[in-house]
Amino acid sequence: MTKRNGSKLISRRRLLTTASAGAVLAASPFRINLLQAQEATIKVGFPVPLTGPYGTEAQDQVRAAQVAIEEFNEGGGLNGRKAELLVRDDKLNPGEAATRTLELIEKEKVNFVVGSLSAAVQLAVNNITKERKVIFNSISQSDTINEASDFSRYTFHEALNPHLTAGAVGRYAFPKFGKKVAFLTADYAYGHEMVRGFQAAGKAFGVETLVDIRHPLGMTDFSALLPRIQALKPDILCISNFGRDQQIALKQATDFGMKKSMKIVAPVLLYTGRVAAGAQAFDGVIGGTSYYWGIEDKIASAKAFNDRFRKMHSGKVPSDYGALGYGGVRTLLEGAKAAGSLDPDKVIEAVEALKYDYYKGPQYYRKCDHQSVQSVLIIESKATPQKGDADVFNVIETEAPNDANLRSCEALGHKA
Amino acid sequence: MNEVSQTLTQPGTAQTNWFEFAKRHRSLLASIFVLVFPLIMPFTALAVNILIYGLYALGFNLLFGYLGLLSFGHAALFGTGAYLAGIAIVHFALPWYAAIAIGVLGGVVMAAAIGGLAIRTRGIYFAMVTMALSQCVYYLFYQAVDWTGGENGLRGINVRDINIFGLKFDFIDPMTRYYVVAAFVILAFFVLSRILASPFGAVIEAVRENEARARASGYNVMLTRLVTFILSGAFCGLAGALAALHLSIVPIEIMHYETSGMAVMMSLLGGMGTFFGPFVGAAVYLLLENLVSLWTVHWQLIVGAIFVICVLFFPAGIWGTILKRMKQ
Repeated sequence: MTKRNGSKLISRRRLLTTASAGAVLAASPFRINLLQAQEATIKVGFPVPLTGPYGTEAQDQVRAAQVAIEEFNEGGGLNGRKAELLVRDDKLNPGEAATRTLELIEKEKVNFVVGSLSAAVQLAVNNITKERKVIFNSISQSDTINEASDFSRYTFHEALNPHLTAGAVGRYAFPKFGKKVAFLTADYAYGHEMVRGFQAAGKAFGVETLVDIRHPLGMTDFSALLPRIQALKPDILCISNFGRDQQIALKQATDFGMKKSMKIVAPVLLYTGRVAAGAQAFDGVIGGTSYYWGIEDKIASAKAFNDRFRKMHSGKVPSDYGALGYGGVRTLLEGAKAAGSLDPDKVIEAVEALKYDYYKGPQYYRKCDHQSVQSVLIIESKATPQKGDADVFNVIETEAPNDANLRSCEALGHKA
Repeated sequence: MNEVSQTLTQPGTAQTNWFEFAKRHRSLLASIFVLVFPLIMPFTALAVNILIYGLYALGFNLLFGYLGLLSFGHAALFGTGAYLAGIAIVHFALPWYAAIAIGVLGGVVMAAAIGGLAIRTRGIYFAMVTMALSQCVYYLFYQAVDWTGGENGLRGINVRDINIFGLKFDFIDPMTRYYVVAAFVILAFFVLSRILASPFGAVIEAVRENEARARASGYNVMLTRLVTFILSGAFCGLAGALAALHLSIVPIEIMHYETSGMAVMMSLLGGMGTFFGPFVGAAVYLLLENLVSLWTVHWQLIVGAIFVICVLFFPAGIWGTILKRMKQ
């Protein structure tokens, strides 16, 4: 009797464990792998920093990439072959990103890699993919990736680069607000490249650099630096930093009353940063961006993308960096479709030939460095939103896509 | 109770024999484990990383576990090995084996420099001095943009073919890469085991147990410390060089003090002062990170909780606790 009871007990326990294991499996992302583990899917590896300081942007990039995948699959895929997205957390660390990219290529046998949200990370991923002849589309800013030493024909760059972004903001701001410029710069590659972009654009206007103050990353107090800038009486203050540094610098510059005597510009104004910091700090600040959802009034492809994004993600609108996730995945999938094959060489040719307008107006990849030639939006923070909380920027000018605004192929070291 | 009395009264029982045998041939057993290891891993690149970080923690453990000095600057040794090996390939186009030799040498020289300055201090001061010095090294490599790529990291450490006695191997192939790295790790196992079993190894442990008594017995404590630090640097330099070859990049993050902390964490997790413990620690640390981060973006919360549990309930580390149980 007791034995029987015992065995019953065991079987019930086993039943419970099996059921709970099943439930865990059903709830976990592995389930998707099990269901879709067919040879035929087109795999897109997507390493982005889901955790860490740029987590908000990265998670939005994943959401946007899912939109591209779903669209592709609904459109019938590549002769019926569906696509799937394999998201990995690169933790904003180049070493981790390289390991994850190796996993994606060696184990998952991905067809394409799209992703990264830091200059160092994208260069690391690029080094891995080009050695293994896998196409990589980078969706974050870097000037170095265009240069001949890092570029390979398997490298694409859907994002803007600092030279272009800072240049566009400079070309807008210098003739309007004056020629005496001060810089407040985050002391790392992003900041340096942005300042170089501003100065390159400034040459044509005879811009004079009064000072370039560099501050370490993660600065919480700018009060020692700001009076020095104030004393020099510049016409324009260029703040070339990112994320939280940008929010704090702008807040303190506002408190110091600097906006009264000078115009503050930033190469990249982040949508998520503006939403987090509020209207006052960003009031009157001008900056550049690759995408803002508000252009949907004028651009049909933006409207279609936003609507699709809202439908899939409970009414949210895509952020600037998020939209790049969509563009980066979609160009490669459309390239595969046009080539009718997944053979990297054929896909490269097809993507090079694309003249596309997927979400922000016309774009194309320049032949020599595979940089996406695209528009840059000049935006200004709104004092009071009219259309809900997401309505934070006015697009005051759009710099049309123009090859001439990029560094020339020869300057990058490419043979013509 | 029966078992305890057995081992006490009859040291020659089968059980202790087996344990003694395992202890004597620890490097051989560890090597066999390393050879079958990739078969049970989720992907090979992770297995290679575990080997490399295991070796790094092994080198760290020589100083921490066996000599009893807590260094918070081992990232400088690891990173110097990686950067010098990378620079040898990128800027001087040297063959891969020369790059590894230069990486090891880099670790040794850096250890001699840092050790020479830090070895006079003890305890928390030693940890602080090594950490400060390693930050100096970090900025040195960060500023030398022409050599190291600075913020962007060093790229282009691309090794394609590896020739060993006329045999050609494709280093891009993940399994080949694993076994090339494994060969060096196995070599390191044997070297480390030899060091620990030597009279010098006994002196190392004597210094840890009672410095005053070791000095009174006529051993040169300072020299023992310095030599151990330099040996530790050689292992870490080798690990760094292998990391550079494996990932084909060297990010500046490799020099960050977080990397120093990783060695401490891995040693504690596996079991400080045990031969195989750091390796177990590295495996658990990296596996947890990789698997949990696949499942949720809040992986840090879960991994952190597991670490806390490990430290609370296995103060001797995972491997250390297993060894203790087996001894009983």
